[in-house]
Amino acid sequence: MGASTQTRPEKTSRSSELSLVIDGVALARGMRVIQPAMTYRMAAGEITLVTGPNGSGKSTLLRAIAGRLRPIAGSIHCDVPILYVGHADGLVPALSGRRNLCDWAGLNDLATTPERIDAALATLGAAGFADLPVRLLSRGQRRRLALSPNGALLLLDEPTAGLDDASRQAVDALIAGHLAAGGMVMAATHDPLAPGSGPRELPLEATS
Amino acid sequence: MTTGLATQVRRDLTLGWRGRGEALVVLGFFGVIITLFPLAIGPDAAQLRPIAIPVIWIAAMLACLSGFTRIFAEDVRCGWVDQVALSPLPLPLYALAKAGVHWVLTALPMLVIAPLLAMMLYLEAAAMAPLVLALALGTMALTLLGVIGAALTEGARGGGGLMAVLVLPLALPVLIFGVMASVPEDGGLVTPHLMLLGAVLLVLLALAPLVAASALAETEAETGA
Repeated sequence: MGASTQTRPEKTSRSSELSLVIDGVALARGMRVIQPAMTYRMAAGEITLVTGPNGSGKSTLLRAIAGRLRPIAGSIHCDVPILYVGHADGLVPALSGRRNLCDWAGLNDLATTPERIDAALATLGAAGFADLPVRLLSRGQRRRLALSPNGALLLLDEPTAGLDDASRQAVDALIAGHLAAGGMVMAATHDPLAPGSGPRELPLEATS
Repeated sequence: MTTGLATQVRRDLTLGWRGRGEALVVLGFFGVIITLFPLAIGPDAAQLRPIAIPVIWIAAMLACLSGFTRIFAEDVRCGWVDQVALSPLPLPLYALAKAGVHWVLTALPMLVIAPLLAMMLYLEAAAMAPLVLALALGTMALTLLGVIGAALTEGARGGGGLMAVLVLPLALPVLIFGVMASVPEDGGLVTPHLMLLGAVLLVLLALAPLVAASALAETEAETGA
């Protein structure tokens, strides 16, 4: 990993710098409880893969952390900004990828220049199709655009679904770079993701 | 936050302009409803003139209503609302921006053609200014109600019909004060009825964004995996 891990003490004193604390959280979809009580902690520079069968609540957990769904019990605390890329990628089909990205930056009060947007697009190999309306893009191309913005806790819902090997490697590289810069990643996935970054696994069990 | 608001407004204006067919359908609907009355009643000024203002108001309400279902649909579907919820831009301000842009795109053109359609119903030229002024305030209030309805029915099957049942009863004060403000008795523009219409608008301006935001707080895109 990158420079940020070297300046940090070993795992024993990590509790002082916990950035994400999930405390006794219970999640429900409609009237059905899917996670009765869940406790989990993450520190800066860590990656967690949320795994489990379909319906075990992976997406629900990510939505709860993103604040888009209220847990029925417990608390979730995160002291860094959150970036969430769900099944829906946040791209409006009628606009170009570049315009979508600029709008997203404006929405978040990020000072952007055309050069920085170009650099972000180039990192993902998305520069070639950034000016096409998103509705003309394939799923993999859309995914790459959606992953372009950089946040402190990345919540990724199946980030590699529908991507080819080259795109997967681009996503892995993006995640590794984000972790090296002291960011955190939590991804719901069925695929191995960023194996080089030493991901922790958070298995969810299906409740019937 | 201001950058976010400006971005949201610019984005909606761009998207609205790209999809201007939708706004034209609303405008066309407005025109068609009004045109049906002279065709049904016959070109008799004595019969058309008294109903001109109520007809224009009801047509404006129905046309506005037909445009409301789409206000948040695209943003929810593609996950943009998720991104707004996580951004520094508060959801109520987002809802207000949506309402403002929607009014500009759909109601403003109606105000422009309303005098023409009113002429078709034999309304006197002197009655045009109060009508357009009252319609301006009234459509703003309606749009704010529509934002509440759109947020509440977002994702519901048959949202359009549900929206009519939700919004139209709440719009009754707007219709009543609006019609009365459109026919000022003493010839002045600013009547007590116009002020009451303005009061309704101000109440909705304060409440609608908050109500819409709490309805949008847990909307969810379809999991299109």
